[in-house]
Amino acid sequence: MKHVLGNRKAIALFVVPALILYSIIVMLPVLWSLYYSFFSGSPGLKWEFCGLDNFARLFKDKNFLNALSVNGRYILITVIGQVGLGLLLSLMFRFWLRHAKTLVRTLVFFPVVLPTVAVGQLFAKIYEIQPNYGLLNSFLDSIGLSKFVQPWIGQASTALWCLCIMDIWVAMGFYSVIFYGALLDIPEDIIEAARIDGAGSLSLFRRILLPLLRPMIITSLVFSFSGTVKMFESARALTNGGPGSATKSLSMYMYDVSFTYGKVGYGSVIALVIFLLCVLGSIVINLFDVKD
Amino acid sequence: MKKRALAVLMSAVMAASMASVVSASDFSGEDPQLEKKIKILTIWAEDNDNGILLNKICQDYKDNVNPNFDWEYEMVSADDLRQKIATLAASNDLPDIFAYESGAPLVDLIEADKIVDISEFMAETGTEEFMNPGAAELMKGLSGTDELYDLPLGLNVEGFWYNKALFEQAGVEAPKTWDEFEEVLAKLQEAGIQPLTTGGSDKWGATRLINAYAVRANGNDIMTKAANGEVAYTDPGLVAAADKLAEWAEKGYFGEGITTVDMNTAGSMLMSGKAAIFYNGSWFTQNLNDESANLAGPDGIGFFNIPVIDESISSSTSYSMNCGNILAVDKSKYDEATKWFLKYYMENMGNLAMETLGSVKGYTYTTAAEDMSGYTKLVLDEIDKATEGFAWWEAKMINEISTTAQENVQPLLNGEMTGEEYMQSIQDVYDMNF
Repeated sequence: MKHVLGNRKAIALFVVPALILYSIIVMLPVLWSLYYSFFSGSPGLKWEFCGLDNFARLFKDKNFLNALSVNGRYILITVIGQVGLGLLLSLMFRFWLRHAKTLVRTLVFFPVVLPTVAVGQLFAKIYEIQPNYGLLNSFLDSIGLSKFVQPWIGQASTALWCLCIMDIWVAMGFYSVIFYGALLDIPEDIIEAARIDGAGSLSLFRRILLPLLRPMIITSLVFSFSGTVKMFESARALTNGGPGSATKSLSMYMYDVSFTYGKVGYGSVIALVIFLLCVLGSIVINLFDVKD
Repeated sequence: MKKRALAVLMSAVMAASMASVVSASDFSGEDPQLEKKIKILTIWAEDNDNGILLNKICQDYKDNVNPNFDWEYEMVSADDLRQKIATLAASNDLPDIFAYESGAPLVDLIEADKIVDISEFMAETGTEEFMNPGAAELMKGLSGTDELYDLPLGLNVEGFWYNKALFEQAGVEAPKTWDEFEEVLAKLQEAGIQPLTTGGSDKWGATRLINAYAVRANGNDIMTKAANGEVAYTDPGLVAAADKLAEWAEKGYFGEGITTVDMNTAGSMLMSGKAAIFYNGSWFTQNLNDESANLAGPDGIGFFNIPVIDESISSSTSYSMNCGNILAVDKSKYDEATKWFLKYYMENMGNLAMETLGSVKGYTYTTAAEDMSGYTKLVLDEIDKATEGFAWWEAKMINEISTTAQENVQPLLNGEMTGEEYMQSIQDVYDMNF
């Protein structure tokens, strides 16, 4: 074995096919995008070299800054919600629910398998106000809180929250199942020993469970981050980026710029920003891992 | 001898001229039945509206004229049309015939030399007489070109549809002037009726209302002037129009959460008596003619043109008119066989549309629908009354500006933006691009 791995030709034989494939599928489009970012118009229609104009435009573009801010807030709320509630649910399965946990777990996991567009339609009905009150508004109305009846997804102040709640609802079941698996791996005797030493629920969680769950939490954060940074289909299905541009993400803006406005070059610049955002996010999340 | 020479010369000239006629392909004779498969991309399902007509005319052409002809019909959603066409145009793979939007989007394709000059086609095939001159003028106006580059698939007027029963209940009549209109709205609200509805989530329904006031207060060509840079989008006249919409929304004329209502829902609210007035185009007759959807019945909904502010600025016989989504013809795949098919299309579309759907599509027709509904007649009468047409709010805007204009109409309706901020946001995008 050592002999084989010491042979440069053998290494090349193993690595090169994968490297070529990776380059074609991943690196080439990225570089292509970078090349496109120096052009204005769209290929075939008014395609002209424009130097660094697209990059200069980025910082003046209010719509881009708005989309960046929307995307940032969405990531923050949704990641914390998905991973946090997923963790709480798993603790509930492990320590609190005894008999019905399989049923509850199935119910909580169920939204994960639903198509995003269907979920979007479902929540649009829940938040509905005209022509008829949806589930939420009619509930508020019936318990005498009619002053809270409002167009939940029709106003900028609540639309993003409503979208985040929907996406948290969809994915928290997934994370709860991951954490539940990790919790089952923690030996019962460690928990018992901590209890005997007089650890309350909170310190048990903080000093025993949290450190043991950390690798899983980091993995989940990475999953959740990569799922939310690309924010597109759920916002498209629920609010279509509206009202105004209150729920318009970077990917949605990039799509509009490239394909509706016909500015593929500028769209490529935005795509590069999303790429950098991904890199930055992964670095930040991995900082938690270094302490070990 | 001289005579003989002359005869030879004459016959030579004749032969030469005949040869030249043959080589320049003559479209007055029989269809040569060339083999061809064309691809049609549209936004209508095969069993709906123009989808029915296009498939029927292809089938008729194949059955009656050219058995070697075939077609492939593809549909995309209206929302995705621009993206799809932009992508196909970029990869030089446009379908032979495709639905598109007139105005600024089409101009891009004209400038990129992607589509066929229809005026030239009509002159070559002698089919000018089948094109409704009014429709041709509208479309040329929208592209800002002397030649025609699109085939119409509709000749629509837009205006306010109202629920007659609700008007009676509130004791009001269809208004003629803008002041009367405001009174009607106020009275309807006093009577506990929601005066207006629109498709706030589809956005274009709401911007049409801004356009209505903008045109009546500033003239039919105000949006053309704005697009050309002669008038700023932040002009007080235009700001006032945006403010008007915000004012109506603030007064509660649209009910709650109008930005979540789409055009279909708004339409059914009108028909079911949940709202009194709804701005839409004459294509809305399709819904009105559907007995199961129209709870107001065959005579329950009326129509009035946008009320007038000053007859000398914009007259009561000028209507918001358009040709709906139009058809364009790809230049690279345009050949003899396509021309023959399009010739048949031009000659027969007017009658076919009138016979099957009872609607005017922008072509001349000689037949009449057998059982034309009251609503269809109503629309045809309004079209007859029109002496001038003006386009919709976004017609002259490039995609980026029109997206901004549509998106920001929602915060405007919600009171999160003022009329001035709304117009400024449009001006900002304009400044970035020109």
